[in-house]
Amino acid sequence: MYRYDEFDATFVSERVVQFRDQVERRVKGELSEEQFRPLRLMNGLYLQLHAYMLRVAVPYGTLNSRQMHKLAFIADKFDRGYGHFTTRQNIQYNWPKLPDVPAILDNLAEVEMHAIQTSGNCIRNVTADQWSGVAADEVEDPRPYAELMRQWSSLHPEFSFLPRKFKIAVTGDEADRAVIAYHDIGLRLKKNSAGDIGFEIFVGGGMGRTPMIAARVREWLPKSELLGYLEAVMRVYNLNGRRDNKYKARIKILVHELGAEEFTRQVEEEYARLDVPQGLPSDQELERIAAYFAPPAYEDLAENDADHTQHLVDNKEFAEWVERNVAPHKVTGYAIVNISLKPVGGVPGDATSGQMRAIADLAQKMSLDEIRVTHEQNLVLPNVRKHDLFAVWQELKEHKLADANLGLATDIISCPGLDYCGLATARSIPISQDISNRLGDIKRQRDIGDLKIKISGCINACGHHHAGHIGILGLEKRGVEYYQITLGGSGDENAAVGQIIGPGFSSETVTDAVETIVDTYVDLRQNGETFLEAYRRVGAEPFKEAVYATH
Amino acid sequence: MAPGDSSMAKKISGPRILTANLLGDGLVVFLGTDGSWAPGLESARLAHSNDDVAQLEAVGGEAARANHIVDPYLIEVEDTGSSLLPIEMRERMRARGPSVNLEFNSRSNGHALVADQAVAG
Ligand code: SF4
Repeated sequence: MYRYDEFDATFVSERVVQFRDQVERRVKGELSEEQFRPLRLMNGLYLQLHAYMLRVAVPYGTLNSRQMHKLAFIADKFDRGYGHFTTRQNIQYNWPKLPDVPAILDNLAEVEMHAIQTSGNCIRNVTADQWSGVAADEVEDPRPYAELMRQWSSLHPEFSFLPRKFKIAVTGDEADRAVIAYHDIGLRLKKNSAGDIGFEIFVGGGMGRTPMIAARVREWLPKSELLGYLEAVMRVYNLNGRRDNKYKARIKILVHELGAEEFTRQVEEEYARLDVPQGLPSDQELERIAAYFAPPAYEDLAENDADHTQHLVDNKEFAEWVERNVAPHKVTGYAIVNISLKPVGGVPGDATSGQMRAIADLAQKMSLDEIRVTHEQNLVLPNVRKHDLFAVWQELKEHKLADANLGLATDIISCPGLDYCGLATARSIPISQDISNRLGDIKRQRDIGDLKIKISGCINACGHHHAGHIGILGLEKRGVEYYQITLGGSGDENAAVGQIIGPGFSSETVTDAVETIVDTYVDLRQNGETFLEAYRRVGAEPFKEAVYATH
Repeated sequence: MAPGDSSMAKKISGPRILTANLLGDGLVVFLGTDGSWAPGLESARLAHSNDDVAQLEAVGGEAARANHIVDPYLIEVEDTGSSLLPIEMRERMRARGPSVNLEFNSRSNGHALVADQAVAG
């Protein structure tokens, strides 16, 4: 279970004391807004459209039940009884009051949590596969390496003044659930032909206004060389990355302008020049960090559980939920339970305090005290005995958390958009609700099959629309919202950037357009093709024809 | 600088009102004809000329310096006779609040039990 180390604990509690003083001085008028703004942003406090918003970090998306209970308590006592889980594996509170924020931070610190945001042009929080440490096919838990990178980069002076912010994601599985191809650096743990575990390294991915898929610069790198190699990547970036234009400063632009081959050549050349051993963590250091992610005490169980098998036969609804929302576990007799925060017509990623408490209790009783937050705005109980699956499902059902729609049409990613976000150009949540209501019939959803719809309320792409099989970007023209649709994007191991299909749609017609696209797919699919497979076979044309003929 | 600051310098084309967020709870407010800051824009004080604008700016600056409000700026509105309607979508959203989560957002902070009942029931 991840916990932050002693250094972090001291740092966090000092930060709370400091921020309490800053808030008091701001309220008394001793600090102006100009002086206070950077201080509050460093502590995760934003002033959004309607109120303050506090963004609480969930490192590697990993929580225990005490922490989840605390998040529920904060929602109750200091906010409006709910929270919003985001694509950065964080939770946001939409209505905190400024004078309450130090008390909220105190409460978070009690359970080793914080809202400190790494800001500025540095290496940001590393994100990880939400099934890290438990996925059946995982080669190795990537989180210790993510933590190693975090500690290494935050102490490394060369990386405090990069041309732009820098995001890293890690996975230990062939299947990519961490969207590594859309990060500045994406790392995948994998075995080489000799069976040794190392890293496959991707550089130069990103979303935003210039979406790009990362280029693979190393097929396999020994684990022990990770920091040295990353240092070489960062040096090439520091040396050549553009600092004259904010929009061209990300590493993706450098990789694109140099070309993947030339960029790789420069990195390898730099790497050959490096004094590699300097960048190496000692085995002892690696072990110390790995201990923070030590697996829980699993029981010795049989592969199959007779009661569970019987429930699958007896209860179709349960069986369908298991089929969509439950995934194989690394440890025999256990399963990974994915909790959908996407009820039909609901707000993607929202959970009430009551739901948070129910999930916390379930985690404590039946998931070895662990919960994960996913970038798709869902939650996970990563360690459930197969024997307990039925009881977990019943409990989830009671709290309206048992939607069997993981990966289906209504499992929509949506950023807060213009309902909350100060940067938004259009609303995204109501569009997601509308689409969810339209396609919500579960039989229809199951027939449509795997489909990722992702919506952003502005070009910043927090809703990952570029990676949506159907992506929707909300824009504004002369005071009216409109929506651009992209098709064919993907954030998995076969990542792709979605392509714009044509002129945008109004808020009244965008759901019709999405439905037409879905119906077109259903008509033209062959032999069980998924939406993405069909799109890749036929291209955008049939969809464009259908959409623009009818609208 | 607040998002609407640049509009202050421009020549005035339509009526403007002054908006900001309260320092304490961050809520959206508008400067009223009686000089108070209130959530609704019904009784907002209108600026029709450059002189009016300058006056509103001065009031906003003063209130910000007094740490009552944060980031005051002018927004353009359409005066329909019966109501004021902000021209920009963003400002219309600020004026009327989120269009989602209504079961929670119609209440003030710290009333979670009601929220749970609303969803569970
Ligand atoms: S994509 Fe834009 S609107 Fe959506 S959360 Fe990000 S900044 Fe806000």
